[in-house]
Amino acid sequence: MELLLWAERRKLRRSKILWIAGFATVMVALIVFAQGQFTFYERRYIDGAGWFMTAAQSLATFYVLPAVIALLGSYMICREEQEDTLKSLRLIPVDEVKLTLSKMVLALVFSVLIYLLLFAITFLVEAILHFEALSIGLVLENLKTYLLDGIGVFLAISPIIALVARMKKGYWLALVFAEIYSFAGLFASMSSQLKMVYPMTAVFNISGYYDANMFQVLIGVVILMVCVILSLFILKGLNQKTK
Amino acid sequence: MLKLIQVEFRKLRRRTFIWLMLLAALFMPLAAVFYFASVKGTGVEPIEFYKWTAFSYTPWIILPVVLGMLCTMLMYNENQYDMLKQLWIVPVNKTAYFFSKFVVVLVYSVCFMLITAAASILTGVLPGYIAFDSGSVLYLLRKCMEISLLTAFAVLPILAAAAAQKGYILPVCLTLVYTFLGFILLMVNMYLHPLSSMTAIVMRDIPGVVITQPLNIPGAFLCIGVWGVASVLLAGAALKKRK
Repeated sequence: MELLLWAERRKLRRSKILWIAGFATVMVALIVFAQGQFTFYERRYIDGAGWFMTAAQSLATFYVLPAVIALLGSYMICREEQEDTLKSLRLIPVDEVKLTLSKMVLALVFSVLIYLLLFAITFLVEAILHFEALSIGLVLENLKTYLLDGIGVFLAISPIIALVARMKKGYWLALVFAEIYSFAGLFASMSSQLKMVYPMTAVFNISGYYDANMFQVLIGVVILMVCVILSLFILKGLNQKTK
Repeated sequence: MLKLIQVEFRKLRRRTFIWLMLLAALFMPLAAVFYFASVKGTGVEPIEFYKWTAFSYTPWIILPVVLGMLCTMLMYNENQYDMLKQLWIVPVNKTAYFFSKFVVVLVYSVCFMLITAAASILTGVLPGYIAFDSGSVLYLLRKCMEISLLTAFAVLPILAAAAAQKGYILPVCLTLVYTFLGFILLMVNMYLHPLSSMTAIVMRDIPGVVITQPLNIPGAFLCIGVWGVASVLLAGAALKKRK
């Protein structure tokens, strides 16, 4: 497993996808910053301490980042088939489930890193604009939100990535699914029952962006666990299919 | 040129995924059914219902994302199987090649909005939320045509970016960021981004829509035009440079 993880990391060295994902994250921060210039009752949004950090994570999660993370994961999985390296890997032999699992682990790490990058950018901007208005509690609270968002979003979309691993050629599907899936969260958040069980909004319940009681958090954890079990279940069929 | 367009459509025949993407058109009408079932009762103003199903998130987010993916797929198709070299040998005019792709996007966009319109009418009339009357249906069709034609022109920059690139990852991430930027700029300045300009033009005569910025229709057309011409020039230059 360690060897596989090391190999995956080496493979990504030459590909531009990490740069592009980073670029997308920076752009999201810039765009939300532009929104912050909007004045409401003669006060710019961006002037409120903590607004930028909170708005960036929720907007990014609803519109952009889940699709980018799904693209990252499905790209890593599909490239073996596309670049015809899968045959050589099977000859070695490499266990395909382990290979895919190591790719998923790496995708999880990148998901967290992307969210941490977004946190770093938003924190820096907030610190430059109004350092004295920021409290340590607020910053730590946001750091926790971003960290849990990164982990939770990956877990919520893991079934999509696993499904792509099964179908091999469907990376387009992953993207469209992930985008619609995260976008539907906007509508799910309108009803309080749906908000609790929809994976994307359950992530917000866990991360503390939504005010949630203990019960709602627990339900959220259970939902994400179901997602993980579902994706493991999908992956388990992978080996049977190839044999 | 006509022959090129015909060939482009024949190529689509075997790609089931492109047809599957049309299902995204049903998303907002279905969401509207759930929304009106839980929040409002029957007897809604038809225009208000259509505002939900066809004039809100469909032109802001769903249609641009779907068209962006389509642009990427169309351009990536030739790169993937290394067909471009053979096409240049034929020879195919590079600008004509670009425009034949654009015609596909345009027709696809029109089909997408027609499906949205049909689904809006069906989901509204069948459960009895709205009464069927020809005035509002004609209005819906006219607006859907406006949205589809203008959006196809507004995604020209993505088509150009996809033409300038060999991979699919950058154009796809660009699509997400571009759409998100257009959506956020709606609230800041509508006349910088083609997608928000498109919204400004479409929203000009929808009753009950409050636009906070002064309406400037020539400005919006100018914005779409400038971006479109710039993208065509960029794509032309990029395609000429690529051997």
